[in-house]
Amino acid sequence: MGRMKKLLDQSLRPLVIYTLVVLIVSIPVYFLTINWIWENELDKHHYAIREKLEKRLTSLDLPDSAVNDMITVLDKVQPGFSFNEAAAPSPDSTYTLIRFDTFMNDREQFRCLMTDIQVNGTRFRVLIETNMEEIDETILAIAAVTIFFFILLLAGFVYLNRKTSLRVWRPFYETLASLQAFELEGGKPATLPDSQVTEFADLNQGLDRLMEASLASYKQQKEFTENASHELQTPLAIVKSKLDLLLQSRSLDQPQMQILEDAYQAINRVTRINKNLLLLAKIEHAQFDGQQDISLPTLLTAMSAQFADRFESSGIRYTQQVGEMTLQANPMLLEILLTNLLVNALRYTPAGGSVSVRADQGKLIFANTGTSALDEQNLFRRFAQASSEHAGSGLGLAIAREICERYSWQITYEFDCGHHHFTVLF
Amino acid sequence: MKILIIEDEPELAADIGAYLAAQDYLCEYASTWAQAREKVELYRYECILLDLMLPGGDGLDILNILKEQGQQDGVIIISAKNDYENKIRGLHAGADDYLAKPFHLPELAARIYSVIRRRSFANQNNVLQNELKVDLSSRVVTVHGALVSLTRKELDLLLFFISNKNRVIGKSALAEHLSGDIADMFDNHDFVYAHVKNLKKKLSEAGYGNYLKTIYATGYKWEG
Repeated sequence: MGRMKKLLDQSLRPLVIYTLVVLIVSIPVYFLTINWIWENELDKHHYAIREKLEKRLTSLDLPDSAVNDMITVLDKVQPGFSFNEAAAPSPDSTYTLIRFDTFMNDREQFRCLMTDIQVNGTRFRVLIETNMEEIDETILAIAAVTIFFFILLLAGFVYLNRKTSLRVWRPFYETLASLQAFELEGGKPATLPDSQVTEFADLNQGLDRLMEASLASYKQQKEFTENASHELQTPLAIVKSKLDLLLQSRSLDQPQMQILEDAYQAINRVTRINKNLLLLAKIEHAQFDGQQDISLPTLLTAMSAQFADRFESSGIRYTQQVGEMTLQANPMLLEILLTNLLVNALRYTPAGGSVSVRADQGKLIFANTGTSALDEQNLFRRFAQASSEHAGSGLGLAIAREICERYSWQITYEFDCGHHHFTVLF
Repeated sequence: MKILIIEDEPELAADIGAYLAAQDYLCEYASTWAQAREKVELYRYECILLDLMLPGGDGLDILNILKEQGQQDGVIIISAKNDYENKIRGLHAGADDYLAKPFHLPELAARIYSVIRRRSFANQNNVLQNELKVDLSSRVVTVHGALVSLTRKELDLLLFFISNKNRVIGKSALAEHLSGDIADMFDNHDFVYAHVKNLKKKLSEAGYGNYLKTIYATGYKWEG
């Protein structure tokens, strides 16, 4: 998932992009239009000058030499005119030219008309030039104005968008805030605002229905797991007590005793699974709230003492290197987490192996001897036994993960140097 | 010694009764709240086993009735609700102990034994078994008058055997007794064997007869 975008910005973005494109396209269009008007106007002007020049010179009715003198004077003195005598007539030509102008001492753009005039039967080639704004400067000016208007539009869009969209979407944001505050554990649906807008009213109605349904099924599920678990306790208690009584029988032979022992093992396993299912349901339903400061090394030491005789009888070496570290958690849950990790380590460590617990920079690492890596994908899933050799409840690590998720801790597994490592990152 | 079993599941009540009868306890039964109330108002018991979920009412109210009447009967709650809050509530209401279902009968017998000893022999709390003497208040064990030094678990084990005299106790019952809640996390109860072996050795070194018998595949029996 990429960066989250806000709804209001979403609607603004295409608008801004569209405006930008239109304004950029408008720059050459403006330029071409202005340029066309410029040139057209100048050409008209040039022809007018030509007409006037020809008419006035002719109407003066001067001798040829005087005409020549006057033309020479005009050629030399009048800016924008140059005359040449021409033998044969040539077609007119109009063009735009950029050149260095010695008078202006700068690069300048000119619109030119090259044409013929006839005075007293003599044909002159006349060049009329008018200085106009350079093309690049025109574009620059248009671009600057366009950018100015674009910024003006952008600011207006943002302002108007904020103002109107916020008003239009307010019921939506209110619904959103109510939903975010909604918790299944609370047992009550969120109160959604009334809206006169059909879509929002429909949305709220749909959400109301959804919340009611979730709450109902949540309650049902919660009750179901607890009830199922409690219902199982009694028959389990009966089987257990029956076995205890059967064990008192004086007529049991050895094979029968073995059967009894196997039955004990099985009933213990069912008891364990049932207990863990109930526990898992309780954790999921956040039934362990109260939190307090707990000293990790103190708790670990107390707990490993409970396991000491089991470690000893299995010939497993237990080491603990945990410096002072205080955690904020529910004491029962933390104890269950540590118990499950210790039980897990103890259960899967071969005789003569070792189990170590060490803390390091906000991490607690349980390492135990093992032969090969376990399937990390399935390890923390319910009833996904990573190894069929040992029968746990299939829930120990699922419970551990559930507890970690509850406190946003991270639990990971890796296999390294013949050791399984379970790491809890607080 | 009279025990009242307040339990709505007749099979379980009968099994408890059968196990306890062999321990020389006299058991009476109540399977509904009304029956239970009648019994506790009319008769006195050394120990009452109280299920919390009863047809007709809450087991905790039975405790309140006992309290109002100033009765001193020992009470052990036996409940399918195995959570902290219920335990605390039960013990607050005046119960002596709380045992979650499913439990092993020897465990129940040990709890009853302990409650009765605590209540009835507060001052002179000695247990005598042949040449063995256990002073429960100071937790001192002597054989032929000579002190036997036992670890806490070995002493627990010894008392567990004594309170289940002449009964066969399964390994899983012993494991649960020794390590409480974590016991049912394991299938392997070999550590029990180590504790029993040590206890046997210490007692026989002190000159106590071989009263603790190993039963094939299943567990142990204390004969006395």
